[in-house]
Amino acid sequence: MSEIFRDQVGWLWPLCESLHFLGLSLLIGAAGFFDLRLLGFMKGVPLRSAKRFVPWATVGFAVNLLTGLIFFISQPQQYATNLAMWFKVLFLLVAGINAMLFETSFSDRLMALEPDAEMPMSAKVIGAVSLLAWFAVLYFGRMLPYLDPNPRSGV
Amino acid sequence: MAFFTWLQDTPFAHWVASDPSLLAYPTILTLHTVGMAIVVGTCVVMDLRLLGIGGDVPLSALSRAPRLVWTGFFINAATGLALFTTDAEHKATQKVFFVKLSLIFLALAVYARIRKRVFRGAMQPAASIPREVKALAVLSLILWTGATVAGRLMAYLL
Repeated sequence: MSEIFRDQVGWLWPLCESLHFLGLSLLIGAAGFFDLRLLGFMKGVPLRSAKRFVPWATVGFAVNLLTGLIFFISQPQQYATNLAMWFKVLFLLVAGINAMLFETSFSDRLMALEPDAEMPMSAKVIGAVSLLAWFAVLYFGRMLPYLDPNPRSGV
Repeated sequence: MAFFTWLQDTPFAHWVASDPSLLAYPTILTLHTVGMAIVVGTCVVMDLRLLGIGGDVPLSALSRAPRLVWTGFFINAATGLALFTTDAEHKATQKVFFVKLSLIFLALAVYARIRKRVFRGAMQPAASIPREVKALAVLSLILWTGATVAGRLMAYLL
């Protein structure tokens, strides 16, 4: 399968890269909007309304998971031995656990706040961690070819 | 053409292109992606809201969006110029590069038009979104998608 993806379908790699970039814009735009609200920006906007953008972040994530898997299958050796890849996975986990923590432990209480209420520290921490984690994912993704201990051409 | 040859030969262009430091080409390229995420992400969120498929946040929530869009834009204008110097002679004649620039220019014009139409007092807060604005939002999504794809194809097309 790796060989088919890499050598037989010349347009697959640029297509997946384009989708990966669109997915990341959608993910960071939609998740970032909610994170900024958690940080206390856009006072007066109910948290519940801001959260309506989050499914779009999930769409972006799904696109990037799929295209990311295609990259990995095509060039496993470029990724498996690359420390940047593992940092990327680490920050993906940070973002995921952070989001899960929000859902399980903070969501109900925060959603009940008045739209004009000051955001509690817990909300600000979750918003900041999410924003930083997603930009860290982007950073290690884009820097991946350059942090590779065995650099190869075609970046 | 002589200008681009000169530009490509400046010490700055050489530094960006071939300095082994991760702060040179790799970081500038990464910042270009960060700027893209900020500009395209913010515009897409605005477009989804205007199309009524991004939930029901009050339009006032987007009143400060221009700060993000212009911050991202200036990051990308600066990093884009730096990246351009490394390959100026080629980029100056690369068709897909001009396609990308044109799409960005059009997308920003559409963005400015939407801001003017929706966010500068022309519309009541509770009013439904006019068809013209929805059409502009669809156009905006198409143009940013095109600009992103064209940007990526710069690495593949002559």
